[in-house]
Amino acid sequence: MDAMQYEAPGSVDEAVALLAAADGAAWVLAGGTDLLVQLRADLIEPGLVVDIKGISELRAITPENGGFRIGAAVTGAELGEHEGVKAVWPGVVEAMELIGSVQIQGRATLGGNLCNASPAADSVPALIAAEALCSVVGPKGRREVAVAEVATGPGETSLGPGEIVVDILLPERPARAADAYLRFIPRTEMDIAVVGVAVSLVLDERGVCAQARVALGAVAPRALLVPEAAAALIGGTVDDDALERLAAAARAACRPIDDMRGTVAYRTKVAGVLARRAAGIALARARSE
Amino acid sequence: MSAATSFSVNGGTVRVTAPPLKRLADVLREDLGLTGTKIGCNAGDCGACTVLLDGRQVCACMVPLGQAAGRAVTTVEGLAEGGRLSALQAAFQRHGAAQCGICTPGMLLAASDLLARDAAPDEPAVMDALGGVLCRCTGYRKIVEAVLDVAAPQADSEPAAGSAVGARLAKLDGMAMLTGATRFGADAIPADALWLRVVRSPHAAARFAVGDLAPLYDANPGLVRVLSAADLPCNGFGVYPDLKDQPVLADGVVRFRGEAVLALVGEKTALEAIADEAVPVAYEPIAAVVGLDAAMAEGAPLVQADKPGNLLIDGGLRKGDAEAALGSCAARAEGVFETAFVEHAYIEPEAGWARRLGKRLELHVSTQSPYMDRDETANILGLAPEQVRVLPSACGGGFGGKLDLSVQPLIALAAWLLERPVACVYQRPESMASSTKRHPARIRARFGCDAGGILQAVTMNADFDTGAYASWGPTVAVRVPVHATGPYHVPHVSARGRAFFSNAPPAGAFRGFGVPQSAIAHEALMDDLAAQLGLDRLAIRLRNALRPGQATASGQVLQASVGLAPCLEALAPPWSAALADAAAFNKTGGAWRRGVGIGCMWYGIGNTGLPNPSTMALALGRDGALTFYNGAVDIGQGSSTVLSQICADALGLPLGHFQLVVGDTDLTADAGKTSASRQTFVSGKAAQLAGEDLRGQILRLANAGPDAEIALDGTALRVTDGAARHVIELDSLPAAADGTVLRGEGSFDPPTTPLDDNGQGNPYATYGFAAQLAVADVDLALGVTKVRKIVAAHDVGRAINPIQVEGQIHGGIAQGLGLALMEEYIPGQTENLHDYLIPTVGDVPEIEVIVVEDAEPLGPFGAKGVGEPGLIPTAPAILGAIRHATGVRIARVPALPHRLRAAILAQAGPEDDTP
Repeated sequence: MDAMQYEAPGSVDEAVALLAAADGAAWVLAGGTDLLVQLRADLIEPGLVVDIKGISELRAITPENGGFRIGAAVTGAELGEHEGVKAVWPGVVEAMELIGSVQIQGRATLGGNLCNASPAADSVPALIAAEALCSVVGPKGRREVAVAEVATGPGETSLGPGEIVVDILLPERPARAADAYLRFIPRTEMDIAVVGVAVSLVLDERGVCAQARVALGAVAPRALLVPEAAAALIGGTVDDDALERLAAAARAACRPIDDMRGTVAYRTKVAGVLARRAAGIALARARSE
Repeated sequence: MSAATSFSVNGGTVRVTAPPLKRLADVLREDLGLTGTKIGCNAGDCGACTVLLDGRQVCACMVPLGQAAGRAVTTVEGLAEGGRLSALQAAFQRHGAAQCGICTPGMLLAASDLLARDAAPDEPAVMDALGGVLCRCTGYRKIVEAVLDVAAPQADSEPAAGSAVGARLAKLDGMAMLTGATRFGADAIPADALWLRVVRSPHAAARFAVGDLAPLYDANPGLVRVLSAADLPCNGFGVYPDLKDQPVLADGVVRFRGEAVLALVGEKTALEAIADEAVPVAYEPIAAVVGLDAAMAEGAPLVQADKPGNLLIDGGLRKGDAEAALGSCAARAEGVFETAFVEHAYIEPEAGWARRLGKRLELHVSTQSPYMDRDETANILGLAPEQVRVLPSACGGGFGGKLDLSVQPLIALAAWLLERPVACVYQRPESMASSTKRHPARIRARFGCDAGGILQAVTMNADFDTGAYASWGPTVAVRVPVHATGPYHVPHVSARGRAFFSNAPPAGAFRGFGVPQSAIAHEALMDDLAAQLGLDRLAIRLRNALRPGQATASGQVLQASVGLAPCLEALAPPWSAALADAAAFNKTGGAWRRGVGIGCMWYGIGNTGLPNPSTMALALGRDGALTFYNGAVDIGQGSSTVLSQICADALGLPLGHFQLVVGDTDLTADAGKTSASRQTFVSGKAAQLAGEDLRGQILRLANAGPDAEIALDGTALRVTDGAARHVIELDSLPAAADGTVLRGEGSFDPPTTPLDDNGQGNPYATYGFAAQLAVADVDLALGVTKVRKIVAAHDVGRAINPIQVEGQIHGGIAQGLGLALMEEYIPGQTENLHDYLIPTVGDVPEIEVIVVEDAEPLGPFGAKGVGEPGLIPTAPAILGAIRHATGVRIARVPALPHRLRAAILAQAGPEDDTP
């Protein structure tokens, strides 16, 4: 720990400059719920730590064109208390709120969950299903990238040197649209997802599914968007037949690991079951709009 | 890199110069001396370090100091106002919400956060708010009750003389736990202490050589000494006098992942800066023996070279002719049942410190067995036992895991050699890797009964994986055959218990000593017999319940306090109601199915067929101080309170006069270990005798009769015997050197006989009995089990303190639930509290406790033990409920969702797709 350098810049530009100038290991600290554990367990090299919690623009939730721009350092608790986001993107909020205990909720951030790049990150499938975009700022300026493109594998991201995710944009929703997220853990709370499924859908005025996105977590090296699963829903009234095709497509997309939390066969099975159940919840929400 | 950071703590501003990435939990404890904030995992998994940051609960181990700048922190030390407990603290005290007390600060702050926003929360809100704090003792229910009852008025009534036994008394040591004043193993380490860090094997089996240490010393000026096997006068320990097979530091060979290889002693920050790879240990891995099959295989590599066949012990019991009797049974059931390594997961990791005082050594440590620690440490250092003094700290949970040595010999050796105080606190992963575990078992059993359901014969073959060293393996292998039949009368019994070495952590003592594993087997087979004969599952158990006058498997004829039948009778109404409710629920369809199960148990209190005496003393000083010298360590179960209640009533003075000295080996007599549910029964009897002894002396001095009343008023003892009144001026009596003028003493060693070659004898003086029912819902598609309710009927002889009795049962049930559904320790994979899952508040269901008091004539006021009985019937009851819901008989625990799902599928045939 002696070799750690700690900086708490007041702006994104300062943070980027610090990270870009770092020679050797540099880490972004937001809620610290992953970083501090990794430091303690000697999983990462000590170096520069840039604390972005003090950058006010990263702490804001701002309505934008019917959607919301959510600062990367917004915590799960803050998101959960935001009635606006909850009303429009309930699945994203419920995914974020599943991360850890109340104590962790007060610390863990949306940007951190994304950039930690765990295949089991709960918020990521929900953000992918929501077709969320994130703003990345780095030495070469600002760029927008789909959430699905951030993680490239366990602990690996597409972010370049000195780049940080500053916010996440959840788009506007039409009428009769809703999302839902379900995950499976063996214990009642505080565990890592064995499987996570997010479903986002839009119904037309006749109740036919006009658009859908389905994303899976914890069944592959990174969260997956599964167009085949969405296709099972689009164009119909999300009946039993469609739900079964959805489940089959979700199962077919799984490439899970086999560990003490579940076998390959079990995780694959669970993905299908949760896909059906999540779609059912999203459907009910969309119908009650 | 250190800078000054300012923030407020409990209303006052503090300025701390420390690295900004230092965790707030460490800052509070080390820089500010606020040790009420506990560290259980340092990873945000256990919530013990929960504090309020600007009013919101956070894990202080997850907050870097830099992020606390300018903010307001509230710790447990800030909750009481003006020396008076807050309403929340008072509710915790009233409800017995603190057992060992290690999670209590975190629980209080988590609840404070909720109550600040919602003064009258409902139960789901409370459970949600507490969900991030793990408790291993209470089963959470009394904590939830306390938070829900926060608005109730505080009652400070103290029972009058002679009425302490049976009273729902708050714990005598509870106040300190609620204010953060209780000092656990890591809380009172001297500032000038050196620290000790253990270097552990990353391999399950390897030979190793230690290289040149000079570069390590050169690179780390704060490193004072590296200890190795060569530094130990006697490098072996173990709980049996003739079996010291575990080295303190491995000597060229490691036999399990996590085994201690070297001990680094030095400045704390210097030790933290040393990477494992920088320590020159060259390992040459060798083939590891993993699991029972490998250990028992013909020609298997030997874990310990002098233990042929990897066999530690082969114990057995034979009564009648079980094989012949089985042959003539109308119904027979059989099965093989397997259990996993289970971690104790006490929230306080092993911790302590030692110092040398001339020719003596002082050991301040979290332990369940101060006298054994004293003797073992002395033996290792080549000292006389009297040269070692053990002063137990508060113990933040034990459950059997703190019966074995951990930090003790290491800090003792370092302090002895270096003549400086030396401290060691295990990190969570090393605690989990190195400490003992519950024995994995493979139990093959057959039960047979006649056409009326009356048991005729039982055979049981129980094999245990005892890990790399003996620890308590022999105890488990001997205790299980005695308990093989379950709490039933069986004329013909053949039972065998064996334990085998493997390259795994030593399996040792864990709440129940093997009986929870064997109960899973006997209860499943009782359900089988009931099904075959079309009998109700409760009815067949009642028909076979041991009764007074009947002989056990070991031929012991039980004369009194055989309370299974009354437990079952008490359980019958809730059993019928639960069955009807489940039938109605299942008619509604859906993904979930409801089942009801039942589990029964018996448990011999104390050591098996061995002496296990306890001695207690009670002294009156010339200054009027009444001191209870109690060598029984309270590990949260409440023995300090319960033994004081017993002693107070035996003496006839109110409890309020009692001052306690607990566990100090210089001042208290040996009360034996806090294990085997023995302290209430054995030490409780000794406490009763000590109280009676002192009372007798007082009455003789006053020449008063046996019914006289005694009152203590300053230094005056007033004795009222009918119309006669006597005053004894204590300061006028001749005093011993320590000021004692009257001293009562009591000793009790429960009457037992050793087991003979056929396992026959009277191994225990008394037995606890219990029956529990569980209601559980199973999601057929996912294999998930949700336990909804437990009703627990326990024969405790006499409930000395019903709050503590309920607390023991609640906590046992939570651990039994973990055993049944989620807990499985896998070396290298589950060495932390996010991969090794223990029940959270959300996992523990509503619990109803029915206390049955079938008095034990030998026990104090009729009492016997309850510590382990709470756990034993729970897993069988839950597994019975799963079977009732799904038809699947679980043969391997934990019944993880993927295993249960696979079993449901195997039963249903080809893939169904229940939504």
